[in-house]
Amino acid sequence: MSQLTYAQIDQAIINTLTPPRKSYWLIVFLLFCGVFVGAACWVYQIFIGIGVAGQNNPAAWGTYLINFVFWVGIAHSGTLISAILHLFRAGWRNPIARAAETMTVIAVSIAGLFPFIHLGRVWQVYYMLPYPNQRMLWPNFLSPLVFDVVAISTYLTVSSLFWYTGLLPDLAAVRDRSTGLRRKIFKALSFGWTGAHEQWRHYGRGYLFFAALATPLVISVHSVVSWDFALGIVPGWHTTIFAPYFVAGAIHSGLAMVLTLMIPLRTMFKYENIITMEVLENVAKTIVFTGLIVGFAYGTEYFIAWYSHNSIEIEQFRWRALGDYRWGFYFMVLCNTLLPLLFVFKKVRTTIFALFVISLIVNFGMWWERFVIIVGGVAHGFSPHAWGLYAPTIIEYGIMLGSFSLFFFLFLLFAKHLPSVSMTEMKETAHHE
Amino acid sequence: MSETPKKSVAGSGKAAVFVSIALSTVGIVVFLAGTLGEHPERAWQAYLINFLLWSGIAQGAVLFSAVMHMTKARWTGPLSGLSMAFAGFFPLSFVLFLVLFIGKSYVFPWLHEDLHGKEVWLNLPFLFTRDGVGLLILYGIGFNYLYYALQLKIDPNQPSSGLRALVYKGWKRNNHNTGLIQRQMTIWGGLYILAFTLVLSLIGFDLVMAADPHWISTLFGGYTFVKAFYSGLGALIILAGLSRLRNGEASGLTRNQFHDIGKLFFAFCLLWADFFYVQLIVIWYGNIPEETHYVIARTVTQPWRSLAWTVFGLSFILPFIILINKKIKTVPVAMIVLCAITIIGIWLEHLLLLGPAFSHEPASLPLGLPEVLIFLGFLGLMVISVRRFIRTFPETAAVAARS
Amino acid sequence: MNSAETHILGLFKSEDQAAESIRELAKSPYSLKRTNTPFPSHKIMDALKLKPSKVGLFTLVGGITGFLSGFLLAIFTATRWNLIVSGKPIISLIPFFIVGFEFTILFAVFGNFIGLLTQARLPSFKGLDQYYDPRCSGEYFGVLAACQAGQQDGLKQLFEKQGGEIKEFNETI
Repeated sequence: MSQLTYAQIDQAIINTLTPPRKSYWLIVFLLFCGVFVGAACWVYQIFIGIGVAGQNNPAAWGTYLINFVFWVGIAHSGTLISAILHLFRAGWRNPIARAAETMTVIAVSIAGLFPFIHLGRVWQVYYMLPYPNQRMLWPNFLSPLVFDVVAISTYLTVSSLFWYTGLLPDLAAVRDRSTGLRRKIFKALSFGWTGAHEQWRHYGRGYLFFAALATPLVISVHSVVSWDFALGIVPGWHTTIFAPYFVAGAIHSGLAMVLTLMIPLRTMFKYENIITMEVLENVAKTIVFTGLIVGFAYGTEYFIAWYSHNSIEIEQFRWRALGDYRWGFYFMVLCNTLLPLLFVFKKVRTTIFALFVISLIVNFGMWWERFVIIVGGVAHGFSPHAWGLYAPTIIEYGIMLGSFSLFFFLFLLFAKHLPSVSMTEMKETAHHE
Repeated sequence: MSETPKKSVAGSGKAAVFVSIALSTVGIVVFLAGTLGEHPERAWQAYLINFLLWSGIAQGAVLFSAVMHMTKARWTGPLSGLSMAFAGFFPLSFVLFLVLFIGKSYVFPWLHEDLHGKEVWLNLPFLFTRDGVGLLILYGIGFNYLYYALQLKIDPNQPSSGLRALVYKGWKRNNHNTGLIQRQMTIWGGLYILAFTLVLSLIGFDLVMAADPHWISTLFGGYTFVKAFYSGLGALIILAGLSRLRNGEASGLTRNQFHDIGKLFFAFCLLWADFFYVQLIVIWYGNIPEETHYVIARTVTQPWRSLAWTVFGLSFILPFIILINKKIKTVPVAMIVLCAITIIGIWLEHLLLLGPAFSHEPASLPLGLPEVLIFLGFLGLMVISVRRFIRTFPETAAVAARS
Repeated sequence: MNSAETHILGLFKSEDQAAESIRELAKSPYSLKRTNTPFPSHKIMDALKLKPSKVGLFTLVGGITGFLSGFLLAIFTATRWNLIVSGKPIISLIPFFIVGFEFTILFAVFGNFIGLLTQARLPSFKGLDQYYDPRCSGEYFGVLAACQAGQQDGLKQLFEKQGGEIKEFNETI
């Protein structure tokens, strides 16, 4: 990383918080329209009923689950970068940690919407909470869906607190360079942080513990999500490899989304000497690694399906590669494992266009992986007479559009109103070189 | 350059030489006696368990060096060098694998079973070919990686012959070009990591999972290689601890490095336990008899149940509780003891997984003095191999290396 | 606070200068009140000879509470529906472990956050309103010291010797 002075770091990042141009607000507005479309579709579904979506017999789980897993997966990379790489003292994570952690908070929130969306009677969602009631009914903590409630709420809470704690010193830095209303707001948000040695002493410990606690949380949350499928006996779902396979896949898709976000951000905000090519390269190299893990899982599943000599298991995997949804399978293998291997070549991973395009390809592939697993499992189970197909309806497409729009909408708002790179950590990095 | 007036870990420790040779001899004798006695299956079972355990330790320890290079870690210092020394066991491991063929009727319970079509995969020629080739590839890539890694460490002033001369010639041929050598290390290190995952998965499926030929677990391969890395790290910490105790500051090993590798060990303790639990919850919850019989045999019925809890206690609970404390990681004696206990736990875990497949409803655990002596015999072989490597390349235990 | 004390803030561009001035202050008759830095500096922390933070205690207590609460919640709710479902025992520790684990992390994080806030005494605006300079969150390391009225020059000299800029405060009682 180039030798930046503290003043240069401050300047580069504070400059991004200047009042945005009209083109920014136009994009924000368009994204808001997307969110509105999604919300409208959801409201329509609440009034008419869950039948307006495509899930039915036998495929009772469709895009709502796919998107749920997709967004939780995206969230995991943010925690990997901000927490796990902090524990490994990998300094290259510093320029992207703030944006990655924000991506996590936004993605978990959106993921958390999908169980609500999937409920027909949303107004009864409070049934999921353990509270004493007249009929003495309690949630069944043996159910993986209830594990999900616990895990996702924990992840959302922990990520938000971690994100906010990380922001505190930066909020103070912005406060000290602001005037008027903005100064007042940031003064309140920064809790009166002064950078006193007493504050830093406890902060350092607290942040380390946050990172140390968030790490097992990342692994456990997506393992719990994978168990929504693996704890059932559905062929193609009931397999022990799911937990690490899903965690690796989550990190894979999340890293790709990090690239998708960071590359435009870096250009717009002129962060080229903060989010350097080395940082992007390291993300790309990690994507090769996670892509191979995911490929290993694909291969192992096929091998064991054959080894088991279980005709039902073999049929599920035969159909996956040759049946009605085989294109999803081809996208999955091509986009998740094979194409990212191009990052092995330095030329590819140092070309911005290639980085951006492959990151989109990986996210495309990872969405299809969830489709192949989820829809493939329910559509083609034990009894041939019960086999069926599934296709999303326009309402589901609308809600999906809403979720993607909401993600970018919130991220854009974040990027222009809060420091998108951690000034504090950048100064620490600059200091150590 | 390396400082010479320092006792190498492998140095003049005559006691260590004597003990390791004695242990190996006793182990070999006990094993041979067992194979010729009334229960040859017990001797061969012990042989298989130890082959898997100690090969895994060696493969996992060398993996540390490759991974640290690939991630461009800067904290490791002499630890990367020490981890390379475990490659000394590779040739012996391959020979030990071939010897398994002699005991084939005892180590492959499926030989005499009706496999309903799996014979295509589970047959002796194919199994030995693929696993043998796999080990050759893994060890070959490992040695090639070391060929380059050692070029960065080799001290031309030390006498060189044989293997040392080979490395030195390579160093000269590469025109002392550090960048070129490191690029080769990246390629071969990356290939080693890939081969490690694939070959250890294969070994796990073929030699351990297949012992119960009608049981499957897709994560079993992953579980095998995580276990190998975990135990390899433990062995590395023991070697590092011994080096520190013997040479003090001259070993080049600092408190921070012990702290860091202790943390890595703790992390893999958790990961190993996680990979175990992840299989358990899926099988327990699905409650499918074809899967659960394996788990029930090992965790519900005696005598395996007590063994299961022992393994859990030694290799998870104990390291977990102890390693939460920060200071203990920097006390070499404590870490040596802890890692030794953990490795014993993993040894017992191998017995837990394979035992019920070999002996159905035994009166007591097939764990007696002969098994312990065979375990110690393999330990002796490992010590001899590591010492030989360090004696050939004392630079691996030295502080300075060209960077 | 002694109303006859004056506070002076020394601002340094380099942490070495700041650390050196802290060591000088320890030998001087002036009292060091606190430092304000844009990021945690090990050199300054070392010069201050600080004790390790107790935040970890809060985290541990939170974690233990969470572990027990998670299991207790799952066990309690399971015993309210005393029928075998899916062939699984009423109280099954293997799946309940997941609930216990997540609660452990959640409550440990709560403990951590509360510990951080209480130990660092946040939110608090007193330090901000009283003796603070906005440059301390930018590129300067601030060292705040107090001296008796009339001794300001000596204190200013100490700071200037280490290369620092001076900021005086309008002291009103």
